[in-house]
Amino acid sequence: MELLRSLTIGQYVPRASPVHRLDPRTKILATTVLMVVVFLARDFRGLGVFAAFLAGAVVLSQVPAGFVLRGLRPIWFLLLLTLVLQVFFGGASGGTVLWRLGPLVATREGLVQGLFVTARLVLLVVSTSLLTFTTSPVELADGMERLLNPFRRLGVPAHELAMMMTIALRFIPTLVEETEKIMKAQMARGADLDTGGPLRRARALVPILVPLFVSAFRRADELAVAMEARGYRGGEGRTRMKQLRYRARDLWAGLVVVGASVLVLWSGGP
Amino acid sequence: MSDPVVVCEGLTHVYLRGTPFESVALRGVDLVVRRGECLGLVGPTGSGKSTLVQHFNGLLRPTEGRVWVDGVEIRPGTAVVREVRRKVGLLFQYPEHQLFEATVFEDVAFGPRNLGLDPEEVQERVRESLEWVGLDPDRFGPRSPFSLSGGEMRRVAIAGVLAMRPQVLVLDEPTAGLDPEGRREILSRVRDLHRKAALTVVLISHSMDDVARLCQRVVVLHRGQVFLDAPVREAFAQSDRLRSIGLDVPRVTDVLLRLKAAGLPVRCDRLTVEEACEEIVRVLQGNRRWSSSEA
Repeated sequence: MELLRSLTIGQYVPRASPVHRLDPRTKILATTVLMVVVFLARDFRGLGVFAAFLAGAVVLSQVPAGFVLRGLRPIWFLLLLTLVLQVFFGGASGGTVLWRLGPLVATREGLVQGLFVTARLVLLVVSTSLLTFTTSPVELADGMERLLNPFRRLGVPAHELAMMMTIALRFIPTLVEETEKIMKAQMARGADLDTGGPLRRARALVPILVPLFVSAFRRADELAVAMEARGYRGGEGRTRMKQLRYRARDLWAGLVVVGASVLVLWSGGP
Repeated sequence: MSDPVVVCEGLTHVYLRGTPFESVALRGVDLVVRRGECLGLVGPTGSGKSTLVQHFNGLLRPTEGRVWVDGVEIRPGTAVVREVRRKVGLLFQYPEHQLFEATVFEDVAFGPRNLGLDPEEVQERVRESLEWVGLDPDRFGPRSPFSLSGGEMRRVAIAGVLAMRPQVLVLDEPTAGLDPEGRREILSRVRDLHRKAALTVVLISHSMDDVARLCQRVVVLHRGQVFLDAPVREAFAQSDRLRSIGLDVPRVTDVLLRLKAAGLPVRCDRLTVEEACEEIVRVLQGNRRWSSSEA
C-alpha cells in the first residue's frame, strides 16, 4: 500500500553534503556534460573510470548507496530487455558463437556489447538521479530558469516553464498521498482493485480517478487564489529571496567534472 | 458488553522502512476494543492514531505484532481481509473527498454492491443507511453528492460506510472542518448509532468535549505509544498529564478545576454540564449549611 516507497527516482534526499551545497546550475551543467560523456565512452575502461568518478560523487553526496540503487528498480525490465536484445542481435555476424537457440545465435561479441550498453544505461540513470537526490525541486527550477534566461529573446518562456515545473514537482507527493488515501477509503468500502480481467480493473479505477480529479482541480483553484493573494503577476519584474551565485567550490567541481570527462575519453575514447 | 472485538498486541508500524524517510509511527501498542463500547482515541497530531486504526481492517499490515478482529487474526490472504473490511467500517478524515458517483444513492450503494448483494438488498441497505444519518432517501437519493453542503456530503460518506453493516465503526475526526450545526448533527447521529444500533464505535477526535460526551473509555496515544488507557472520568481527572503532552481536558472539567483552584472543594470527575451544575450546587449548599450552622 505504500506507493511512495517505489518512487525513489527523482526524490530529494536532504543532507548537508558538499554536493548538495553546489549551485544548482553547476549540477545541471555537470549532469548534462556527464550524459554526453557516458555516450562518448567507447569501451569498458572508459566506463570504469566514469563509474569510479560517479561512485566518488555518491559517497561525497552522503546519499545512501542502497537508495541510489533502488532508483534502478523501476527500469530493471528495460535493462534486462536491452541486455537480451544486444546478446542476440548486437554482435556483428560471424562472431564467436556461444550458444544457439533455434534461429537465435548468441555471440561473444553480442554479450560484451549487451553488458556495455546496460552498464551505460545504469550509469546514465544513476548520474541523473544524483542530480535530483541532491538538489531540491525549488533549486532545480531556479537553476533551470537562470540557465534558460538567455533564450528568452528567442521566445522561450523561462519563468513560466520553471514555475510549472516547481508546481508539478511540488504536487507529486501530495497527489500520491491523496491517491493512497482515496484507494484506502474505497477499499474500506469493499472495492477490489487487483483482481479480475483488464476491463474489470479499468472500471475499478473510476472510484479512484473521479475523486482524485475533483481534488486536483480544487487544489489548483486554491493555489491560484493563494498565489494571486500574495501578489503573483507572472515573472516580469519578480525579485528573488535566494540569489544564485557561483562560488569557488563551483569552479572546483566544474574542473573535477571536466577532468574526469577528459580522463574517461582519453582512457577509452575514439 | 465485555468480549473483545478488536485486539492489538505489540503492534509496531514503521513507514518507508529501509529508506532515509523511515519513520516509526507505532511502537508496541497493546489495545483492546470491547464489543458495544464507545472508545475515544485521542493524541497530539502525529501520535499514530490514524495509523493505528488502519490496522483494524487490514489496510496496513503490522511491521511487528498481531491484530485480531472478532477472534480472527488478520493475515495476508484475501478471504480474511475481505471479511474484516466488512466487519470494521472505517471512515477517513474528510470522507466527503471519496464521493464519486453521479447520485447519492449510487454512491452509498457502492459498498453493498462490492459485497455482491442483490439489487433489493442493496436498495434496502441504502435507504436504511441514509435514514440513519438523517437524510431522506427520496429527497437526497437522486441528487448529485457534489451539490450538497459540507455537512450533508459527510453524512452521505458515513452512510456509505454504514451500508456495509459493520460491527465496529471507526471515525477519524468526523467533525473536523464543519460548522457547529454540522458538528452537533454528526455527533448526535453517532450517539444514536452507538446506543440504538448497538454499534461498537471508535472515535478519533481532537475535541475533548466530544469525547467526554460520547465515550466511556479513552485511549491516549503519544509518539506511537499508549500514554493512557482509562475510563473517561479517570482519564480527564489527570489534567496535568494530558496537558503535559499538549492535550486538554473538556471545558466542563476545566471549569471545575478552576473552581477547585479558587478554593471550592468540588469533585472534578464530572463530564456533562448537568453533572457539573449538580456538583456545584451540592458544594455550595453544603457550604451554606456549614456557614449557617457556624453562625
